[in-house]
Amino acid sequence: MSPVKRPEGDMPHADGERSPTRGRRPAASYANTQIDWVAAEESDEFKELIAKRRRFVLPATIFFLAWYFGFVILAGYAPDFMGESVYEGLTVGYLLALSQFVMVWALGFMYLKRADRDFDPLAKRAAERALQVGRDAEVTR
Amino acid sequence: MTVFAADLNELALGIFGVVVAITLFVTYLASKRMASATDFWAAGRGITGVQNGFAIAGDYMSAASFLGIAGLIFLFGFDGFLYSVGFLVAFLTVLFLLSERMRNSGKFTIADVLSFRLNEAPARAAAALGTLAVAGFYLIAQMVGAGVLIQALVGISFEVSVIITGAFMLIYVVAGGMLATTWVQIIKAILLMVATVVLSLFVLAEVGFNPVELFNRAAEESPSGQDYLKPGLFLDTPLDTVSLGLALVLGTAGLPHILMRFFTVPDAKAARSSVVWAVVLIGAFYIMTTFLGFGARAVLGTGGEEAAGDGGNLAAPLLAEELGGGAGTFGGDLFLAIIAAVAFATILAVVAGLVISASGAVAHDVWSNIVRKGRDSEKEEVHVARIAAVSIGVIAILIAVIGGSGLNISFMVGLAFAVAASANFPALLLALTWRRFNTTGAVAGVLVGVVSSIVLVIISPGVWPGPDSEGGAFSFYDLANPGIISIPLGFLACYLGTVLSKEEAKAERGFDELYVRSETGLGAEVGTGRGLTGRTAEPDREPEPATTTR
Repeated sequence: MSPVKRPEGDMPHADGERSPTRGRRPAASYANTQIDWVAAEESDEFKELIAKRRRFVLPATIFFLAWYFGFVILAGYAPDFMGESVYEGLTVGYLLALSQFVMVWALGFMYLKRADRDFDPLAKRAAERALQVGRDAEVTR
Repeated sequence: MTVFAADLNELALGIFGVVVAITLFVTYLASKRMASATDFWAAGRGITGVQNGFAIAGDYMSAASFLGIAGLIFLFGFDGFLYSVGFLVAFLTVLFLLSERMRNSGKFTIADVLSFRLNEAPARAAAALGTLAVAGFYLIAQMVGAGVLIQALVGISFEVSVIITGAFMLIYVVAGGMLATTWVQIIKAILLMVATVVLSLFVLAEVGFNPVELFNRAAEESPSGQDYLKPGLFLDTPLDTVSLGLALVLGTAGLPHILMRFFTVPDAKAARSSVVWAVVLIGAFYIMTTFLGFGARAVLGTGGEEAAGDGGNLAAPLLAEELGGGAGTFGGDLFLAIIAAVAFATILAVVAGLVISASGAVAHDVWSNIVRKGRDSEKEEVHVARIAAVSIGVIAILIAVIGGSGLNISFMVGLAFAVAASANFPALLLALTWRRFNTTGAVAGVLVGVVSSIVLVIISPGVWPGPDSEGGAFSFYDLANPGIISIPLGFLACYLGTVLSKEEAKAERGFDELYVRSETGLGAEVGTGRGLTGRTAEPDREPEPATTTR
């Protein structure tokens, strides 16, 4: 199977063909444009999107995995430490467990904020750029 | 404890009836909006971020979480809470790595994403296998759990309980598709949250709203004393604890019924906001499981252990009965009946989600795209989806009824998470991020992930030779949770399959396209649905959780 030609079911505009869409998203214009995906991937806009997102997601992922596995490893190998009372029966273990909840909520909201503010506009520009390159190519053809 | 009181049954049945009537009405409304395959599997992509957040919570918080974790905390103290933490942190993996990419590049199933850049037939077949294995084990576990719980709480026999659960599950899915399933999950999430908050408040009132006092009271009531507040009573092998933690945190990112939810929203923005809504709900819920578990210990004491049954599953209902005024009182009966009905709604929402994801693997992946090679009509696809859902549902009911209450639930849930983390997650993550990844790698990874999980769980000490044995069947292997071995094996097989196969840069072009599309949302599937109320979930006017939750 040629990698360029996708089966009908996978085409991005498959829904558009089967049932009318309201055409308020790039998908409508995309359907008629031949996109050079390699060029889209090499565009500055796309590279910036990837770099910006990676700058948040990579450290955040390393941090949450480290904090979580730190907790799990302590629970497995240092039960006595986890059972130490911090305040009248409130244990280190329970506090560390609660810190995981706080971490999940904090990172979740930070990611949402960052994505709305930085990633989405970049993604939109990268998509527009890809469509532009596609249309330019059609004109020259 | 009079859990089987005759008058209680009617009260519980009455509340069941109300819950079921509401869900059937929702299903009726949804059935009028079922025209296309997108309607059936993705609710027309018209679910808003907030709605999807509630639905994810409803899809995820199974009876195993509600009753199982409360029961584990009741019996073993701190170790039960380890599960809660793992189940919640897992959503960061989903949020950072998968939710938006899935929404941007998929249609209905995990296989859609894999086959985008890989050789279609084998990639789809492998992904369908992973999906069916996870959904199958999880479904049977939930059905057996439903039978055991309803039998204990309402007094209907195990077989009838399983069949009733299965019947409602199939009505929701077959008549109302994903839209009905979504709303059943939303309703259940609300019921479960309200019930848990009320129960927690009652528990906290017992200790003067001082959680620290609750821990001390619980420890006093435990035969283990202060050790009850330490890890190690349930998970006594350190490596096993780490292995469980790994499977929990990566497994959720491979659960097909959770990933499928991201196809129901209009765009990536709604997908990620739904994850954050879900973690707010799920996190609050899991913190409250400690109030239920420690509360049950403080209130019921050691005397409650026998009545709470295997795994302490009935600890939360018994706690409700006690807090309502005790067995035999109207308040006690009412509380117990409400908790029983909430548990029933909880199970229904989860099994409906599982069946619809399994029907996607059979009808969309295997039938439409492998057997019919995409040449079937949309009508045929939906028709086959319904047949698949009924077949899967009937098989699950039969296995649960024949296997009976003796089927080991925790073994099957553990297996589902192990397969999800070792087979589905590696293949999906590498397909989205690793340029060289190819079909052989994906097929090898899924097969090795599935087989190694199953084999390792079977030879684990609790399963073979049996739960009471000293050590495992093989002296060198004594882990109850296979994750720490099977997950690296899954990744390794993906890697080796890729580098050792002769397939070359053939997939390259597909990767460029998948990469750009998954990151930017360019050409993503558009929503056509109008939701249950007829209002469109507008992608650009999505309410922002940051401002609406405050």
